[in-house]
Amino acid sequence: MYFAKVLSDVMQRSKTKPTTTGPKKANVFRMLKPYGGMVAFLVVMALLGNGINLLIPKIIGRAIDAFSAGHFIMKVVLLEFFIAAVAIFIITYFQNIIQTYASERVAKNLRSQVSAKISRQSYTYILRSNPSKLLTNLTSDIDSVKMFVAQAFVILISSVFVILGTCTLLILINWKLALAVISIVPIIGSTFFLIFRKLRVLFRRGREIIDSLNKVINESIMGSALIRVLNSQQPESMKFMETNTRSRDNGLAILRLFATLIPIIMFVSNLAVVTILALGGHYVVAGTMSLGDFAAFNSYLMMLIFPILMIGFMSNIIAQASASYQRISDVLEAPETSETGTIITQIKGDILLKNVSLLYDDKPILKDISFSIKAGSRTAIIGPTAAGKSQLLYLLTKLISPNSGSIEFDGINIAEYTNELFHSQIGFVFQDSVIFNMSLRENIAFNDKVTNESLEKAIATAELTDFIESLPDKLDTIVSERGTSLSGGQKQRIMLARALAINPKILLLDDFTSRVDQKTESKILCNLDKNYPDLTLLSVTQKIAPIRHFEQIILLMEGEVIATGTHKELKESSPEYAQIYNSQRSTHYYEL
Amino acid sequence: MNYNLNKPSDKQEQKVSTFALMRKLLGLIGEERRNLILALGAILVNATLSLLGTYLVGHTIDTYIQTKQYHGVLVFAGILLTLYIVAFFVNFIQMRLMGGVGQRMLFSLRNALFNKLQELPVDFFNQNKVGDLISRINNDTDKVNQFFSQSLMQFLGSIFTMLGAGIFLLSINFQLGLAALSPALIVYVFTKIVSPWVKHRNAASLKSTGYLSAEIQESLANFKVIIAFDRRDYFRKRFEAANKQNYTKSVQAGIANNIFMPVYTLAANIGQLIVLSLGIYLILQGNFTLGLLISFIAYVSNFYNPLRQLAALWANFQVAMAGWDRISQILSLETNLHVVESTKTITSTSFLSFQNVTFKYPNGKEVLHKVSFDLERGKTYAFVGPTGGGKTTTASLIARLYDTTKGTILIDGNDIRSYTPEERSRIIGFILQEPFLFSGTVRENILYGNPEYYKLNNEQLTEEIKNAGLESLLEHFAQGLDTKIQTTGDGISLGQKQLIAFMRAVLRKPELLILDEATANIDTMTEQLLDEILKKLPESTTLVIIAHRLNTIENADDIFFVNTGKVIHAGSLSDAVNMLLHEKNES
Repeated sequence: MYFAKVLSDVMQRSKTKPTTTGPKKANVFRMLKPYGGMVAFLVVMALLGNGINLLIPKIIGRAIDAFSAGHFIMKVVLLEFFIAAVAIFIITYFQNIIQTYASERVAKNLRSQVSAKISRQSYTYILRSNPSKLLTNLTSDIDSVKMFVAQAFVILISSVFVILGTCTLLILINWKLALAVISIVPIIGSTFFLIFRKLRVLFRRGREIIDSLNKVINESIMGSALIRVLNSQQPESMKFMETNTRSRDNGLAILRLFATLIPIIMFVSNLAVVTILALGGHYVVAGTMSLGDFAAFNSYLMMLIFPILMIGFMSNIIAQASASYQRISDVLEAPETSETGTIITQIKGDILLKNVSLLYDDKPILKDISFSIKAGSRTAIIGPTAAGKSQLLYLLTKLISPNSGSIEFDGINIAEYTNELFHSQIGFVFQDSVIFNMSLRENIAFNDKVTNESLEKAIATAELTDFIESLPDKLDTIVSERGTSLSGGQKQRIMLARALAINPKILLLDDFTSRVDQKTESKILCNLDKNYPDLTLLSVTQKIAPIRHFEQIILLMEGEVIATGTHKELKESSPEYAQIYNSQRSTHYYEL
Repeated sequence: MNYNLNKPSDKQEQKVSTFALMRKLLGLIGEERRNLILALGAILVNATLSLLGTYLVGHTIDTYIQTKQYHGVLVFAGILLTLYIVAFFVNFIQMRLMGGVGQRMLFSLRNALFNKLQELPVDFFNQNKVGDLISRINNDTDKVNQFFSQSLMQFLGSIFTMLGAGIFLLSINFQLGLAALSPALIVYVFTKIVSPWVKHRNAASLKSTGYLSAEIQESLANFKVIIAFDRRDYFRKRFEAANKQNYTKSVQAGIANNIFMPVYTLAANIGQLIVLSLGIYLILQGNFTLGLLISFIAYVSNFYNPLRQLAALWANFQVAMAGWDRISQILSLETNLHVVESTKTITSTSFLSFQNVTFKYPNGKEVLHKVSFDLERGKTYAFVGPTGGGKTTTASLIARLYDTTKGTILIDGNDIRSYTPEERSRIIGFILQEPFLFSGTVRENILYGNPEYYKLNNEQLTEEIKNAGLESLLEHFAQGLDTKIQTTGDGISLGQKQLIAFMRAVLRKPELLILDEATANIDTMTEQLLDEILKKLPESTTLVIIAHRLNTIENADDIFFVNTGKVIHAGSLSDAVNMLLHEKNES
């Protein structure tokens, strides 16, 4: 029995064999293992439903027989019939409900698994694996698997049962004729197998095209303002149409295969009908087979063909689900960046970088960086665009890790701190604004350990009090990234408040003041001194004036530390620094 | 116009009949009508062939096998074989045609949706979440497609078979036929009553899918903050909540969808029961024969089997309609930025003129109040003021990302609304505060929206860049023009993004160039370079510079101070500085 073999193979393989090379082949059947009980119950229900369905003609037949024999009792027939009908009603309804629950639960659990996995991954992983693809994984891919559980699986299993049963019956009636008929099963099986293999590839490609569709849509929405300023809606539509065309062509390719598969299965099944007619007819004519057996054979054949056709129709769903499940397990089986840190001592704020280098796509971003910062001091990093300043801050936040060298806080490599402790002591204000679509309170008290008191202090320090007071819903106002309600400077100050709300020991500012006006900026710096006196401050900035009195200034150019010292020292010792300083001097008068 | 798809106004929520929805949908696939008709023809041929096959088998058994004429058996086996070969091809054609219609419909539906998105103003995107829109374009269209490519033909086929069987039943014995069909009436009423509820549940399920998608999209896009603030649990929690809601709604929809099948099956069985008991009664009355009853019962199943099939299809149909509702919600939106006839009621000699402009964002407070100012050709203007004062809003109005609430904006004395988007974007260049890059290369991003240069090769383009004095800016990119840009520009710094945005805008040679904090994250040395480049722009180019850094505005011909809904002309740089220092911060 081909399908039974495929099935058992499939189950077998899932238990034992991790395939030799390449990425592990994921098996969509394996995924059902934890739901064994539910699945078994479903199959039993399906078979029971089908079985009772067969009873109805029997009851009618018996009633007619009884009637013609003259001992027909209406009441009994009515009762039997009624019981059967109600039983079918209840069984099918329950089967459907359980099927719904099973498939939705599979989907929900898979989503949880994938999201939990993603949440444990590193920032680099998210960037590399492309958020658009992860979105498809969590939505369309899981939907395909859900569809498999909801529709295909039970039909597949019960079809296999029916095929097996019918084959046995056929063999019992006339084994020679049965063999001739059953020979269609391997023919159909191998056609199915061949086409299925191709289908799987196409479905996988289809999913990848959906990824790119997502990307185009995503970018066209994120960049909607730019597109409208440049009036480039037309090229955007072209870009979308191009990807959409690929999607359609792939869909048509799948269709071509499918439109070949189904007619072949139907035709081969019909061949069996002809075979029975010709060969069985021969047996009957020759007298080796009774007419009754012949008739029975014919009707059983119909019972055999229907489930084969069903499997054919389900192949679409199965191929799609197995392609999708492969993609999902790729995510689930990706190596994790495991939490290695164990140290939970509080950080004082001494920072030491020793020979830190960072590569990005094999090109050096940071080269052999070394410097130290004393706890409680203020340090500024200045340097031209693309000098590697932001990446340096990313390193200090454990968002990325260096290719070589070590970063130590209080003499301990930062990798050795637990993430929880580490991140609760480092406040990072990103260069670009990241605002979540939720209330201002939730945006600022983003870490849930933030107390009301530290929230208030952070808001006051970031000079947001007046702004928040002016809002109708105050802190409970819902804000959003692309919302029009916030100006660039307001967003940046919300980011600052978010970093301060955790009461950090170390505060990293990435070009924080770029969108905040002078007056507010000096107020904020003053507030910082007053409200967070022990803070170790590391600020990436363009402007020298506000940082002139900082204890240390580091000049970073093309990934290298060019000079380190105080403003006074650098002005004398570093020509590059002096040049930058002079470029800002003309406006010095207005800087306060 | 209200652009929030998840909070539709009452007017937009008005009920549209299923029929009207269907008609609108069919309008989208107008050119497929021929294919649909052909496919329908193929289905009819197919059904006939299959019935004929069954009949031929019966005939052969009756006339040849029973009478043991093997020759006749072989002849009819041959005929049957030919018939099945024909069926094979018809089958193939039918599937190809119908599937093709489905795929092409999905294609046009997605295109129509995406093009509609392109027509809509920025306002729309401010009010809707990316993930939800993606879900509508990908998921909901797919639901519609699933019905069309997989179920529609079966649907029609079932209805045909049912109609045929029904007429047949009535013609054999009208009384018995009527009785046999009576449960179908109950099914009809049941379907009529239950369908809106089923559709409603499916709509809720699709909505929660959109919500889930939005949640995922937002979290993934902001992942660095989630890591830096050690809120990996935040992602999980938010996601779990959405996931759980999605689960509940999907189960509810699934249960609703599954209500048809058991009821339809019950109706089919009751139909048979009625025929059996009434048939026996009629026989006892002497009006019917046992043989006729037996065949009548067989025909009854011909009527009720397709009805059961319809049960499954009808649920699919409800899902598709719910999806189509969500799609047509977008398709029915219109842009609120129409091009109007130029009405020369107000004359203005200046290049750009704001006349009593008042502006408020939807559901927001007033940002500009009766603002008037004029800009002349070839001059450089600086707009300064505290954060949240209205500078970006003013710039957005110049680029017509929004229309004014009251008052007019004139370009060369003509209402800004009378310019076509092509004309407007040629005149006005706007470097946005938040630079946006498309994934691809630096080259593609610099040339974005500048088709004139598309055909240039890298050398020719470099030449153009040199002419514009931009070549030194390329040095900030490791592989120059071919430097790769990842999705949404992650991996390159904000300063670099601003450089690309700057080059993109300058190469387009606009008549009016707005720089909205366009160089805020660029170091002062490079910034001086940018100043030089701006100075080299043609004499007639008007510059509007929005900045905090005073050095970027000290060369301005005129300075405007923007705050608390007002745009005030500052006499001199020191005036502006005074205002900056002493005006109360509104925000």
